Amino acid sequence: MASDMGRMPFFYNQEGRLIQVDSALQAVSRGSTTVGLRTKEFAVLSSQVRPTRALLDAAEKIFVVDEHVGATGSGYIGDVNTLIDDVRIAAQRHRLVYDTPIDVGTLSRGLSEFLHTFTMHPVRPFGASVILAGADELGVHLIQVDPSGTTFRGQGFAIGKDADPALEAISQGYRPELTVDEALALTTRAIEAANGGKTQVEHGVVRLGTKRFERLPLSGVVG
Amino acid sequence: MTTTVGIRTKEGAVLAADKRASKGFFVGAKAVQKIFPLDERTAVAIAGQLSDAEYLVNLAKAERRLLALRRGYPLNVRETTKLLSSIIYSAMKSYNPFFVELVVAGVDKEGAHVYTNDMSGALTSEPFMSSGSGSPVAYGVLEQGYKPDMTLDEASRLGEAAVRAAMERDPGSGNGVDVLALGNSLHREVN
Repeated sequence: MASDMGRMPFFYNQEGRLIQVDSALQAVSRGSTTVGLRTKEFAVLSSQVRPTRALLDAAEKIFVVDEHVGATGSGYIGDVNTLIDDVRIAAQRHRLVYDTPIDVGTLSRGLSEFLHTFTMHPVRPFGASVILAGADELGVHLIQVDPSGTTFRGQGFAIGKDADPALEAISQGYRPELTVDEALALTTRAIEAANGGKTQVEHGVVRLGTKRFERLPLSGVVG
Repeated sequence: MTTTVGIRTKEGAVLAADKRASKGFFVGAKAVQKIFPLDERTAVAIAGQLSDAEYLVNLAKAERRLLALRRGYPLNVRETTKLLSSIIYSAMKSYNPFFVELVVAGVDKEGAHVYTNDMSGALTSEPFMSSGSGSPVAYGVLEQGYKPDMTLDEASRLGEAAVRAAMERDPGSGNGVDVLALGNSLHREVN
């Protein structure tokens, strides 16, 4: 029976799992360590961008989706880019129809539905998880969306390689009254803890007061 | 045909409309509702093809409900008018236009608003607006009587007077006036 599944990887297996989706999650866990953190006042995204080979430029990992929303992802970078483009288009489409910035919940819902369609057909699901950070009428949001379309809302997330120790480090240092600088130090520490030493980290911050998402210059060891 | 009027004041917004539905040179119906609420604090006054306008209002109601459910808070007046104008514009561009001119009025966090949507999807906003065949007459009354610091009651009376004047001279308008007043207090913060 189990050998039959080899030809039908897009159906549920005997345990009721979708192995394609499981494989996609595994692909995410091989990506670079990426974390997000949220308080009532702001949200930060941080991603390790240290080049994997000599002479290589660091890849862009923190993306501006719209004025008030940013995103980061982990997994196959091509897949991440496609997903980021999808949410960017959704954001602009909303502006065209309603003339207002899209709310982060609707944005993540659209992304989740898009990802979900790829679990329903005999195609490869996206090998990428995305963390969205944004501010809207309802406050500050931090949302993780997985290849299955599963959506998580919360105060801290970590995806990619060594996500578990990174999340552990964040939950150890998290306080609701953190400042932006403290939060950035904490996420950097979490990524470094997961990777065993100094590394290059890219950040993005969105604040409730300004409702603007900004990318921050590269920090950490260069080269 | 038709006369509709929208007025914005510090206290809220007012819509007024006549009740006649014309069939060419014939009075097709004498008690037609031309003011439609989209929710408790947003309403549309319609002029033009009644069927198009009613369909558009129902479509806008459905789209607004869907978006409000998805994101967890209702649309403000600007978003509502922009939604209507997006629908009307895309219909016009696909050679299948809605033959309507809408006056949208409502109150939200920013206060009272009045907008006009025409069949091309153009969107305009002024303190008082009128649409339909009787609008030139109604505008005369509005230009004379409008004051920015009017009470909601005074605005309601001005709206009615403007429609009544149009009914006297425009054969496409008549058979009575409907008035809807939306006070600023209708808007409550959703928590």
